[in-house]
Amino acid sequence: MFDNFLFISSAALTVCGALAVVLSPNLMHACTYLLTSLIGVSGLYVTLSADFLAATQLVVYVGGVVILMLFAIMLTGGNDNKSVNKFGIEKIAPMGNIKTFTLAGLSALLMALVISKIIVNVTKAVPKGELPPFSSTVEKIGELLITDHVLAFEISSVLLLGALIGAALIARPRKIES
Amino acid sequence: MITLSSYLAISFLLFVCGIAVMIARKNIIAILLGVELILNSCAINFVAYTRFVNNNLDGHIMSLFIIIIAAAEAAVGLAIVIRFFQIRESIHIDDATQLLQ
Repeated sequence: MFDNFLFISSAALTVCGALAVVLSPNLMHACTYLLTSLIGVSGLYVTLSADFLAATQLVVYVGGVVILMLFAIMLTGGNDNKSVNKFGIEKIAPMGNIKTFTLAGLSALLMALVISKIIVNVTKAVPKGELPPFSSTVEKIGELLITDHVLAFEISSVLLLGALIGAALIARPRKIES
Repeated sequence: MITLSSYLAISFLLFVCGIAVMIARKNIIAILLGVELILNSCAINFVAYTRFVNNNLDGHIMSLFIIIIAAAEAAVGLAIVIRFFQIRESIHIDDATQLLQ
């Protein structure tokens, strides 16, 4: 009963958030809807008994990535109003117009047809059986990270260091030309 | 109610929404929002298969690395966006037409 309620509410939050990201005409609102969608994904992880991943999703995505994006939106001043680019060609509105949304709808439809063709076959092949009961995954994930997946763990630490230094180097302020 | 198919359907909807955002928007930060949606749909698939099919937690590790890579991608991507805004005073994708500043 509680599982069903949690699943339905998380799924609704995820899907409605994603649809709102597509349809919202304001960038700031779209970013906030992305926040609700990511919280919904975290709820889905809870229903899949992935407790560590749910916590990580909340901490990293909701507390980190979306806040970073909100900062970037505010630092770049939201939407600009210039309607003509450097070559004098009229620009499309920053959040898209009817033409881009038609293109996006068509390509999403195409993508949907291809993926649904695959999914129909995949769901037939799933073995039926009792699901194992919930047990905490933190300890097992910790063991796996430093035994089987230790190389990926170390490489990801190097990747994060590189991303940190790279972001600081790229975004540093321009030199004042005198 | 809670079956593998329903999780696959949710992940499918997230993926399609992400594709639509990436194509419809002309704002670089909005395109990055679409990338985040796509990465999340992929992570849901990994965890759902771990729960319903093989139960060996490797999918959880993979989702964890997806979250890590998404964080690194967001940091570098937004740094590039801010640098682009310093140079061009705009975050419209149609202004990104030159390699040389």
